[in-house]
Amino acid sequence: MTLARLAGGIVYDPANGVNGERRDLYFRDGRIVDAPQGAHIDHDYDARDMIVMAGGIDLHSHIGGGKTNLSRLLLPEDHRNDAPRDAAYEAVRDPQGRYLRMPSCGVCTPGTLATGYRYAEMGYTAAFEPAMIASNARHAHLEMGDTPIIDHGAYVMLGNDELLLQMLAARADFDRLRDYIGWTINSSRALGVKVVNPGGISAFKFNQRSLDVDEAHTHYGITPRDILRTLTRALTELRVPHPLHVHASNLGVPGNVASTIATMDAADGLPIHVTHIQFHSYGTEGPRKFSSGAREIAEAVNARPNVTIDVGQIIFGQTVTASGDTMMQFKNAPLAQPRKWVLGDIECDAGCGVVPFRYREQSYVNALQWIIGLEIFLLVDDPWRVSMTTDHPNGGPFTSYPHLIRLLMDKSFRDEQLDRLHPEAKVASALPELKRELSLYEIAIITRAGPARLLGLNDRGQLGTGAAADIAVYRNDADRERMFTSPAYVFKDGTLVARDGNLVATPTGGIHYVSPDYDRGIEKTVRAYADENLVGGFAHTAISDDEICACCRGGRLLPVECFEHGADPTAPRAARPAASPP
Amino acid sequence: MHDSSSPASNAAQPAAPAAPSALVSVSASVSVTRDWTCPFCPLLCDDIEACVRDDQTIAAPTTDCARLAQALTHFSAADSHCQPMLDGQPVARETALARAAQMLAQAQRPLFGGCATDVAGARALYELAANCGAILDTLHGEALSAATLALQDRGALFTTLSEVRSRADLLIVFGCAPGARHPRFYERTLADSTRARNICFVACAIDPAASKIAHAHCETMLEHASPYDVLAVWSALAEGRNPAAFESGPADVAQMAAQLAALLSRIAAARYTVLIYEPASLPQPHAALLIEALHRIVKALNRTTRAGALGLGGADGALTVNQTVTWLSGLPLATRVARLDRPDGAAPLEHDPYRYRTAQLLAAREIDVLLWVTSFEPHPLPDALDPQVPAIVLGPPALASRIAQRAAPTVFIPVATPGIDSGGHLFRLDTSVVAPLTPARHVNLPGVAELAADLAERVGAQRRPS
Repeated sequence: MTLARLAGGIVYDPANGVNGERRDLYFRDGRIVDAPQGAHIDHDYDARDMIVMAGGIDLHSHIGGGKTNLSRLLLPEDHRNDAPRDAAYEAVRDPQGRYLRMPSCGVCTPGTLATGYRYAEMGYTAAFEPAMIASNARHAHLEMGDTPIIDHGAYVMLGNDELLLQMLAARADFDRLRDYIGWTINSSRALGVKVVNPGGISAFKFNQRSLDVDEAHTHYGITPRDILRTLTRALTELRVPHPLHVHASNLGVPGNVASTIATMDAADGLPIHVTHIQFHSYGTEGPRKFSSGAREIAEAVNARPNVTIDVGQIIFGQTVTASGDTMMQFKNAPLAQPRKWVLGDIECDAGCGVVPFRYREQSYVNALQWIIGLEIFLLVDDPWRVSMTTDHPNGGPFTSYPHLIRLLMDKSFRDEQLDRLHPEAKVASALPELKRELSLYEIAIITRAGPARLLGLNDRGQLGTGAAADIAVYRNDADRERMFTSPAYVFKDGTLVARDGNLVATPTGGIHYVSPDYDRGIEKTVRAYADENLVGGFAHTAISDDEICACCRGGRLLPVECFEHGADPTAPRAARPAASPP
Repeated sequence: MHDSSSPASNAAQPAAPAAPSALVSVSASVSVTRDWTCPFCPLLCDDIEACVRDDQTIAAPTTDCARLAQALTHFSAADSHCQPMLDGQPVARETALARAAQMLAQAQRPLFGGCATDVAGARALYELAANCGAILDTLHGEALSAATLALQDRGALFTTLSEVRSRADLLIVFGCAPGARHPRFYERTLADSTRARNICFVACAIDPAASKIAHAHCETMLEHASPYDVLAVWSALAEGRNPAAFESGPADVAQMAAQLAALLSRIAAARYTVLIYEPASLPQPHAALLIEALHRIVKALNRTTRAGALGLGGADGALTVNQTVTWLSGLPLATRVARLDRPDGAAPLEHDPYRYRTAQLLAAREIDVLLWVTSFEPHPLPDALDPQVPAIVLGPPALASRIAQRAAPTVFIPVATPGIDSGGHLFRLDTSVVAPLTPARHVNLPGVAELAADLAERVGAQRRPS
């Protein structure tokens, strides 16, 4: 029952409309509490003139599962190149004398331990695996469970699983499709549903090499639009807070602006989240037939209140693209740098492709990709509908977020970076004319308040009474990159975990998941399908409470409530007020 | 003892599905676990009926698998009375742990060998390794390293078991007999299928286990050819070299080219081809080159048709521990984890499959303590271990009697086998599925995870500044 006070900070809490007000924050037992009358303060933290926000929330980061581990296996050089830090950083101990850290390395494919440590040191308190394959769910949960400090969760992949496609092709009753989707979310302990190249991963297994939004799957005859429509409708009826999380068709293909907008419209006005949209915003103009479609995409997003996005900004340097999109990764494989890659077909369920990549300032295409991402950030009006991501590691490692924040907040810094790029890219873009600089309030929205709301995490991403005490406190600095790199204090559920970029505690994070209602009768269908097609029985598919606790190393179970019955599913997500915390 | 052996079959005539075992023990079954998952090979078959008798022996009467039958022979009523031992004498667990911790704390260059455990065990061993500054390697380090090296150099194009079952119409088995180490491989991956399957054995004989499958048509080609030559010619053809180009060369190579060209035509006409290989069956010391070549061929095939490679192996938790250490640290086995209080500038992790291979370390007498973890089967201490090197053994009770008196201090602590006396998680051989294990029996033995965590705490405490 120890009471802590964070005194004198300047609070940015957009979920509660707080925009740079000097306030003291009090928290006890992991929760923010009202200023207590006359109570004794056990821990008093001096945050005078510091910027106080909720802990960061990364809603799209590949932190656990088969393809993440394959990228580690593929790139030992990435780990060997990660120079060890000094002993004071590495050998830090807790008050009982135990070492806080265990060895873990890697720059673009860090070990899970390094991932957790670095997120926490940077002021992030949660990260979410966006592409968990249902048959690989346990592996994803084991890796996330070994990611210290931060809370986590995952979206389960659907829309390329053969059973769903068979049911769609057979024109199964929508109710049964919805129940199957509900069953999958429950049994894999997911927080939401992801679809990657709808129908495309499966189509590739049938030797189909491309699949546009209204093109038929060569075997099942259904289209990506059919799949998107079904999944968005199902999630709405299941009242799952997070919208369908969509990696759209035609990733990386010049001219894919059209299919991206068609993807948005396939939801028929229901909520839909288009992820790493930068990779889906390419035009075909100019002599190189590759141009920015950012303006068109931003206008489409602005005009569609049901659409939310995360950007997937690229950062120059060496990284690796780890994706479920086998169809496109196979196409991109010849561009691998270094020249090696992994790809696989997985369990009649999904697939994965891991292709190392180096984004170069002097490449016209890469320079334009960088520009397009920034254009999107600056051209979409409503920050509540934009989340900041680099699609770690596909665009760049998550440790580049402070650099990205500086690019968004500081036009002169942006212009300096622009000058280093391939000269034709700068000419081809609108970025030099975009003067907008995001404010701290807007940064707080796109890096914490907005993602929390999009995921249905009512008591996170905000600092109102009753919210979880996940807090990041930054020393104000005109150099925003430096400012956001090493927060002065980071609290996780009220425990101080980092100070000035150094860990002081490594508690175990919790797992967020959602458990929508569904008719259990669907299990007969799933079992019959498994008996007929799979190796590995239906009996062992669902992950029990005990098991998820073991996978998560005893981390707390953090179930997320589905929406209330009768809530208007078509009400724009961004306008929904934060529910009052318990 | 229960014995389950398949009826002898005539290779020319595919037999009916295997009949249940004829021999049944006299004791009555005490408990039956249905849909039990077997931990003894990386197929992790989960359709097994595990029957525990009142004498604590275990049988799987409805499953025809020689490997499972053999593994089950090691479990008996004596397991519940098995005590830890120090230098051959029974001692309390506390004594054994204290001595083991002392050995580890004093060690300058410990090796954690065997590493035959599950995910929980691997997690705990990693922390212990960090406290001790230990090298980690598995029982099957050589084969595992070959696979890892090939992946690190070139990548892979893989498929998984359910894809094989539901999609593959052509299976090519290269240089191995899958049924030897994975007896139910065909039964599981080609289960209950009325669909005809073609299995072509290249650079090896027809696997006897395959010829038992009624709907599989088996053949062999280039049975005695060098695997290196076969893959070299196959690569060239897959990249578009005209088979006619080989006609001017040696006759046997021309023949090889012609046969492989015919195989390529069949692959082109197939819907989905699976190329199966087993690192442990490939000639060493350069199996990695062969594995790399296989994946390169599969990648070339995928330009026009669909195919995937399937690597067999990783038993005794080798695959599992490799996956776990890779995700925790970033690097795979064999790797040395530096001590947490290492000097400034020293690397925290050193991955070196050549230097840190068990056989290499033992031969060069480089280690000063061996922690031998073997929780699935009672693998004895390696013969090459210097008698002067202290050893700590975590193994099933059946191992107790196999630890000979040694000159150096030797600790033995009996542990639960995941899937027999404890739960756990193991990776299946295609690494896409992690199987949860349910104990069939409930003899009270500690798990590797529990002991390793205890040791880590003790070693850490001994090193902590007071």
